[in-house]
Amino acid sequence: MSGQPLLTVKELAVRFPIREGLVRERTVAEVRAVDGVSFEVAKGEILGLVGESGCGKSTVARAITRVVKPNAGTIDFDGHDLATAEGRELHDLRRRVQMIFQDPYASLNPRMTVGAILREPADIYNVGSGAERSARVTELLELVGLDPRFAERYPHEFSGGQRQRIGVARALALNPDLVVADEPVSALDVSVQAQILNLLGELRQRLGLAYLFIAHDLSVVRHISDRTAVMYLGKIVEVAPSAELNSAPVHPYSIALLSAVPIPDPAIEKRRKRIILKGDVPSPSNPPSGCAFQTRCWLKEKLGNPERCTTEAPQLSEVSSGHQVACHFPDKA
Amino acid sequence: MSEQSLLEVRDLVVRFRTHDGAVHAVNGVSFDLAKGETLGVAGESGCGKSVTNLAIVGLLPKPAGRVEGGSVKLEGRELTTLKEEELRQVRGSEIAMIFQDPMTSLNPVLRIEEQLIETIQAHREVTKETARARAIDLLAAVGVANPESRLRSYPHEFSGGMRQRVMIAMALALEPRVLIADEPTTALDVTIQAQVLDLLRRLTEERGTATILVTHDLGVLAGMADRINVMYAGAVIESGTTDDLFANPRHPYTVGLLRSIPRLDGETGGKLVPIEGRPPDLLETPTGCSFYARCAWRTDRCATETPVLAPIDGGTGAIVTSGPTATHVAACFNPVAPEEVAEGRPLPRAEGVRR
Repeated sequence: MSGQPLLTVKELAVRFPIREGLVRERTVAEVRAVDGVSFEVAKGEILGLVGESGCGKSTVARAITRVVKPNAGTIDFDGHDLATAEGRELHDLRRRVQMIFQDPYASLNPRMTVGAILREPADIYNVGSGAERSARVTELLELVGLDPRFAERYPHEFSGGQRQRIGVARALALNPDLVVADEPVSALDVSVQAQILNLLGELRQRLGLAYLFIAHDLSVVRHISDRTAVMYLGKIVEVAPSAELNSAPVHPYSIALLSAVPIPDPAIEKRRKRIILKGDVPSPSNPPSGCAFQTRCWLKEKLGNPERCTTEAPQLSEVSSGHQVACHFPDKA
Repeated sequence: MSEQSLLEVRDLVVRFRTHDGAVHAVNGVSFDLAKGETLGVAGESGCGKSVTNLAIVGLLPKPAGRVEGGSVKLEGRELTTLKEEELRQVRGSEIAMIFQDPMTSLNPVLRIEEQLIETIQAHREVTKETARARAIDLLAAVGVANPESRLRSYPHEFSGGMRQRVMIAMALALEPRVLIADEPTTALDVTIQAQVLDLLRRLTEERGTATILVTHDLGVLAGMADRINVMYAGAVIESGTTDDLFANPRHPYTVGLLRSIPRLDGETGGKLVPIEGRPPDLLETPTGCSFYARCAWRTDRCATETPVLAPIDGGTGAIVTSGPTATHVAACFNPVAPEEVAEGRPLPRAEGVRR
């Protein structure tokens, strides 16, 4: 952790009710999508958030951008609480927290020209004169490596990679401090993915942006992020500097996850030992008691199923400087 | 080496008729598949890797897609000219397929039991009881717990990983000689992907099933494939054993692919070397090398002449097209020098040497 925190999330919880009944609707259960998540993002820092489908990583993004209202916890953004902000305050905060989406096809309005899409944020926030807004569109297109003449075209005229550049330009239109990027490259082919990753890295250098970078692809997250947080079933199980997480993971889930990522090198693949987890992720509407990972934990099995794993939920605690793990047996893995 | 070759594809050409004209989806693809080997096919969206496989089994969307040339032979038997009923016998019992999204390949309103038994009975003259017993064995073999009771489940009652296991069970039900797996783990999470790949590797090894594994993930191919065909714009542009291809890639596109992916064991924060531009429009009739527009190694000759697959060492010996001693071939006039591979682009010194 270097520099002062821009975003401090504490004990964030988002729950979605499961309702039943047509006439008399009642809540029968709830999905604990995000279940007590805490982390910080410093100014100009990239924090990667990884995890598998349904682990709650996108819900974290949606809570921070306030697409959903959290049920509990605080989201301190530069002295304001995003979790409870409403009205004018929320409107002003949103200008400083922007989002890049996964699907470059669904996230651009097909009936608007690229120029109109990029101008819209300035129109909404009433920034600058008409001429200044047009000049800004040109500036934004150049910033993301597109021809300014593209402003008159429509999204369907562009390839996936170009559309994602437009999505990035839109997110930057209002000079945000924090960009929440939810799977920004997973819909792209690898050669194009590299173009966008390089672009995001350059923009961060030039504009001093901070990113919350969410992805399921560990290689991508490791490449771009300063620190990486691993989520499992609504909780963060490990946070560490990206290089350290990859070279010395401590949580049994992180270890298994990293061992499952294929490496494009046959010599390494032949030597590698995979930890293949059994079964599927439990349902977040009915999480296991104690540690969320205990039903699939290979370490618990190896240690002879200690009772503590099933009775007590482990808290994130520091194992070395800047490296936190939520496991009762961090020294046994 | 057609002697031990199980599947032989020669100069396969597939076109799609659309309102905008003919899409040149596959432009002369040739390869062999030997018994028991796993052939990986790599390439990005629209490179023709899936269409090639659909053409092999006669499942091109009709009437738009047509095989317009070349041949596909399974143990010497020509498949492209077979009638639909004959093809149906080949599919499933001799060549089986697994697709990316198991939910669209399974019938959502039928229990797994009915679908598995139907598959077995459509191809084998067995009683329902025998077929049912076989179905239970298969589910057990792919690691479905309580196979007897799980037979009564509908596809939606399974998780994504479990559904893909059911698909594998169904594909292997008739002990096919060739298994075509098209992005079988792309929709799955990485820990589930590891489970499914492990299963696929074990079962195909046990049964000696020859496999064509299509994926955009080079990491998956590194661990699974014996040989790899790299495809671009409807053609195989480089082919060789997995070890050769990763250790010594020669086609600029293969080098580009390898250099553009972030690696878990690579350095953090470094710059990736992307391939600039985008693949050619397949509506246009290809002239010259299809990679010309994006290639850092191009010369004038590449614009007009189409390179064909040739041994990278320029050797004149017989070309081995399958098995562990397959010849490393690339379709390039100006292959990447080994010292340039690490850089991902031509070195200034090397550029000076070239005209």
